[in-house]
Amino acid sequence: MPDHTSNGMQCNEFDVLLTDALDGVLSGTGLDRFQAHARSCATCGPLLAEAEAGRSWLKGLSEVEPPVNLVMNILASTSGIDTQRLRVTTRSAQPHISWWERTQASLLEPIWATVRQPRFAMSFGMAFFALSVVLTVAGVRPADLRQVSLRPSAIRHAYYSTQAHVVHYYENVRIVYEVESRVRELKRNVAPAEPGRRESRPAPKKDDKNDTTQQPEQKQERNYSQTNSNLILASAHRGPFLNGFNACDLPVVSVSTYRRLV
Amino acid sequence: MEDVQVVAMLVRRCIAGDSAAWEEIVQTYHRRIYNICYRFAGSGDDAQDLTQEVFIKMYRTLSSYDHTKGAFVTWVTTITRNLLVDHFRKTKQDRMTDSMDTPASEHEDAQPLSEQIPDHSAAADARVRSREVSETVHAALARLSPELREAVILRDLQDMDYREIAAVLKVPEGTVKSRINRGRAELARLLQRTYRQVM
Repeated sequence: MPDHTSNGMQCNEFDVLLTDALDGVLSGTGLDRFQAHARSCATCGPLLAEAEAGRSWLKGLSEVEPPVNLVMNILASTSGIDTQRLRVTTRSAQPHISWWERTQASLLEPIWATVRQPRFAMSFGMAFFALSVVLTVAGVRPADLRQVSLRPSAIRHAYYSTQAHVVHYYENVRIVYEVESRVRELKRNVAPAEPGRRESRPAPKKDDKNDTTQQPEQKQERNYSQTNSNLILASAHRGPFLNGFNACDLPVVSVSTYRRLV
Repeated sequence: MEDVQVVAMLVRRCIAGDSAAWEEIVQTYHRRIYNICYRFAGSGDDAQDLTQEVFIKMYRTLSSYDHTKGAFVTWVTTITRNLLVDHFRKTKQDRMTDSMDTPASEHEDAQPLSEQIPDHSAAADARVRSREVSETVHAALARLSPELREAVILRDLQDMDYREIAAVLKVPEGTVKSRINRGRAELARLLQRTYRQVM
């Protein structure tokens, strides 16, 4: 703005007083000098008119309404919290649903719909039955589970003890025992059909105590079902009860014994 | 405009982690900040993004507010103004390619500013009250230089006093008044020139 003086007021002073004049706070001689300068100055006169018009245009602008979700977005991007207003809006828009009902609807309802199917119930029953049988055979009782120790040494001990129990049970099953006996008997009957096998084999040294190569074979020969009927004559000492009999009058008892071949 | 003690207490609660206090601050000031951003940026989308940025910055720097140095609204407006200036600098290249014949905002439906000036002879007050005229003025405001624009927005749209505006803009009160006068006059000239083109 040019530093021009008109009616005792410079243009710079007019510029400073312009806002006060438009705000209506200028009065008295100051207002008179201001108006006189505006009338006489070719620069400040139009400036007053334009500033007044511009202020009028701007005052006519109304406040714009922010977007509805602005507050929600601000809170979400700052504190990450929900708004009271949003909660109220949501609460009024939707019926009250408790957390249990929401969990039931989203999680439990699909599971329950599957469980209610007959095939699932049958499968579950069979699985439960099979598990019960397995636990019973293994000797596991639910009452003992509370006393189970989870220490590594205890777990190891339980493992070996269970293994020994199962092996013992298996070996004492009658049918297993009989099948094994039959198999051994068959092997023994088949063995003479291979003459070259024993003949070609060198005789084991009697003094070779460390030679254990024959032990498995000897063990294989150990067959409790193998019977050798050896005739044993039972004799009795001539005692006071037999004094009246001859030796040839003694009864001969034929006893057939089952001996184990060692 | 605001009770200093009440606002100071609100800020202290917010710093202490009271989410309700922060929500109250957001509810109180979001409309004002959005309007400043909208009038300065000229776009509703930009205004929404800028308003969120202002509150994010406020949330992070709330502990730096000292109520003995000034009103909370001045502090908030200063943050807003600084972000707007940054935004203007980033988009300066885009604005330099604009002209009066290109639409200024999404409200103008691709009509050039020269075609949006209403058809004369009504009184200024009556024209300003109409929606079309408001959009025209808004478009003209967006074409002011940022220094003049921020001054007239804070004074004529936000009704801040000169001392507060001087604190926000960090310039003397005389400079604030001068910018306001020149901004108002420039806006009027812009609208009159456009009006004459229509005539």
